[in-house]
Amino acid sequence: MTPTLLGRWQTRIVLFATVGALFTLPFALGIVGPDASGIPFLVLFYLALLGLIWDVLYNYLQQFRWDRDWPAVFQLIAGLWEAIFFSYLVEFIDLPGLEPGVPLQWFAIHYSLVWLGMFAATHTLMRILFPYWRFNGGQLF
Amino acid sequence: MNSSQRQEVKLSWEDPVTSEYQNLLVQIPIALGRQLNQMPGEIAQRQVSRVVLNSSAVSRYHALIDWENNSCVIRDRNSKNGILINGQRRKNTILESGDVIEIGPYEIIITWGGDNKKSIFETNRSQIFFNPITNSLDSESEGIPSVVTTASESDRFPPPEFATPLQVSLQDIYTSGLSVDEIDYLTIGAGIGSFVFVDCLRIFGVTADKIIALGIDRKPYSRYKQLCLNSQIPLKERLRSNSDSCPDNIWGFPSYAWREAWHDLLRLRLFDAIGNLWQVFAEPTLAQTYTPRAGNVFDSIDREIKRIGWEKMYRYGRVLAIRKTTDGRYAIAYSRGTRDKRERAFLIANYLYLATGYPAIKFLPDLQAYREETQDFQSVVNAYEAHDYVYENLKKRGGTVLIRGRGIVASRIIQRIYETRRDNPNIGVIHLMRSPKPKGNQFKKAERFVENHFEFQPFNWPKACWGGDLRFQLERADSQQRQSLIADWGGTTTAARKDWRDTIDEGLREGWYKIEFGQVEKVEKEADFLITYIKNKNFKSTIHLQTDYIIDATGLDADVKVSPLLNDLVTHYNLPLNFAGRLAVSNDFEIEQMRNSTGKIYAAGAITLGGPYAAVDSFLGLQYTALRAIESLAASRSPGLKKLSPLNSFQQWLKWLNNRSPDE
Ligand SMILES: Cc1cc2nc3c(=O)[nH]c(=O)nc-3n(C[C@H](O)[C@H](O)[C@H](O)COP(=O)(O)OP(=O)(O)OC[C@H]3O[C@@H](n4cnc5c(N)ncnc54)[C@H](O)[C@@H]3O)c2cc1C
Repeated sequence: MTPTLLGRWQTRIVLFATVGALFTLPFALGIVGPDASGIPFLVLFYLALLGLIWDVLYNYLQQFRWDRDWPAVFQLIAGLWEAIFFSYLVEFIDLPGLEPGVPLQWFAIHYSLVWLGMFAATHTLMRILFPYWRFNGGQLF
Repeated sequence: MNSSQRQEVKLSWEDPVTSEYQNLLVQIPIALGRQLNQMPGEIAQRQVSRVVLNSSAVSRYHALIDWENNSCVIRDRNSKNGILINGQRRKNTILESGDVIEIGPYEIIITWGGDNKKSIFETNRSQIFFNPITNSLDSESEGIPSVVTTASESDRFPPPEFATPLQVSLQDIYTSGLSVDEIDYLTIGAGIGSFVFVDCLRIFGVTADKIIALGIDRKPYSRYKQLCLNSQIPLKERLRSNSDSCPDNIWGFPSYAWREAWHDLLRLRLFDAIGNLWQVFAEPTLAQTYTPRAGNVFDSIDREIKRIGWEKMYRYGRVLAIRKTTDGRYAIAYSRGTRDKRERAFLIANYLYLATGYPAIKFLPDLQAYREETQDFQSVVNAYEAHDYVYENLKKRGGTVLIRGRGIVASRIIQRIYETRRDNPNIGVIHLMRSPKPKGNQFKKAERFVENHFEFQPFNWPKACWGGDLRFQLERADSQQRQSLIADWGGTTTAARKDWRDTIDEGLREGWYKIEFGQVEKVEKEADFLITYIKNKNFKSTIHLQTDYIIDATGLDADVKVSPLLNDLVTHYNLPLNFAGRLAVSNDFEIEQMRNSTGKIYAAGAITLGGPYAAVDSFLGLQYTALRAIESLAASRSPGLKKLSPLNSFQQWLKWLNNRSPDE
């Protein structure tokens, strides 16, 4: 893919708000995971927020590539990196609303599902619903 | 050369955008740079010839060529990217006639004295045309005539009403007595570009009875397939095309890699399936870029032809002229006769979409001259002409082939020769290049990768030209900036396929493949051989290369004026051309000067290079063009065209998936 910064931001926000929220719902309702709470949504919110900052870095790195592209494998590496960073962050910093010691295995499951859902959506659903999306560097508006 | 002689020198180069030959006769001192006003107008009371080279890799004032102690010296003016002389990095050096100066994407040859006689590269006509009846490349054809003249003036076609007025009236057309049809959407060419446009129209809600595709071939991929086969891409071979660049599917999903993987899976070829998917996942960094097989692309188009009812919309015809009508539409005069039977007709359309492809094939002027002189059309060929007999003969008798050009087509031909060598190892290749290529193009922080003088890039433009930030950059740029950007991103490149790179390494090691540098002076026939005389930099003299065949693999580009139809349109309506000599179009690909009240004309493909989009001549680029044109048509509420909501788009995609007609 060849996203632009604006495209990364827009796509991230839209996907977190839709696919991300959908995959978070079972965790928030307690169908999956420890018990029903708003925490999974808060985690999702922080991930999205941090992601908007990571996007600036990714976009910068893209400039060093002749094709100015972002291979799918980079999407995966970025996804792993964001997860690791976040799990360390909650260990050491008190994010408002999140107590340290979020159960790591549940975070890993929640995060993997959200990430896989969004990864799949960028390669399928986004293209099918928005034919112009891939020509606009991921911009929707 | 002596400074007191104040001789003229000649600078000649191949334009990095259009690959046309540029020649400039100038007096020393010469300043080279990107900005005219940054270069001195005078040095020591001598007027400076300032040469502007448009590219971001060229500094504003890059280099100066001047006399020093009776020698002609080039000095680097602290440029950011430096200069290469005959492939070697130099700060300051004495120049000799015939030296190649490389600055950014420009390779300039400097000559003077006896070397300065009018070069063969200055001749104008150096193309091969498509035969208007058979539509195949024909070295004796002159292209499609724009006017069919016959014995009596009253029988002229297009009729005299087309000759001078800017608008023709419907009444005049109807009184001609010839067949006239009226239609909403008409696309001219009926090749891949037309097909993709019609496909989009259908998906966006237009019914088949509102569309006509006018062209010479029944199948939209006929010409493309012929060029592929001629240039040694058989059906089972892989193209140089992105997996999600699917002319049969506007969404790009499922891409060709997914389809191939699915196909492999059904045949229980699990590893092949995983291999394809791994490629699209990791390309181009950790895996070689996936590209579809030619045959699969044609098959997929065949399926879509049926689905959208292409055959109902296709009409055979050679378009001769286009005029505005007095009622805000366009009149198209076309011939639908054959060699034996003459038949002419008119079409009246509200909206036109021009997708006529390459007007002609470029042919190296020295080879053209050779052919004209000797009438030998067998041993000197263009890679896009049918030339399979060359490989058959090589297989039987062995021999040496000289290849000119270092792009994708050269790679194919080397691959074919490599395969032929398995049957007969007595085959050699001399690859003639104008100058060494130690370093790839540069753009901002990135540089293109080079190996063995081949420059690599997965596709013919950096990927972000199709839908990334480079696309936006080009669209926003003015004409001068566009020229610079296209020069930086374009140029001759080939795909970094492992098998090709290995073949070159192997050939160099075993000695059957050699690279020579130099400029061709002439080509002659001696006894049974072709002799190519070149100026070779290492020996500073003319050497000659003896071969059995010469294959020109230099390129496809040609000026739109070469097409009689487009030339007529451009001259009749005084249309502006862009810096590359192609049709000037708006960001949504409209030829704005052709607006006729509500009527509009759009153009797509190679005839719009140099405009708002770089990758116009590619499947995905043709889809982009079609989408932009349709967006603009929908905004002006053209008949039957609906905006595609996400839900509509999803429904249309399901129809595609289930192979059902778009209007069911
Ligand atoms: C060898 C080769 C390989 C390529 N590989 C790829 C690839 O892998 N991926 C990719 O994305 N792109 C590729 N391209 C580039 C491009 O996608 C194709 O060239 C494509 O066919 C361009 O479509 P088009 O509609 O512009 O032209 P064409 O498909 O050539 O169609 C133009 C048609 O217009 C007709 N025509 C012209 N003048 C008139 C007239 N006056 N009246 C009636 N009809 C007329 C012609 O007969 C022709 O049939 C390749 C090109 C070549 C040559």
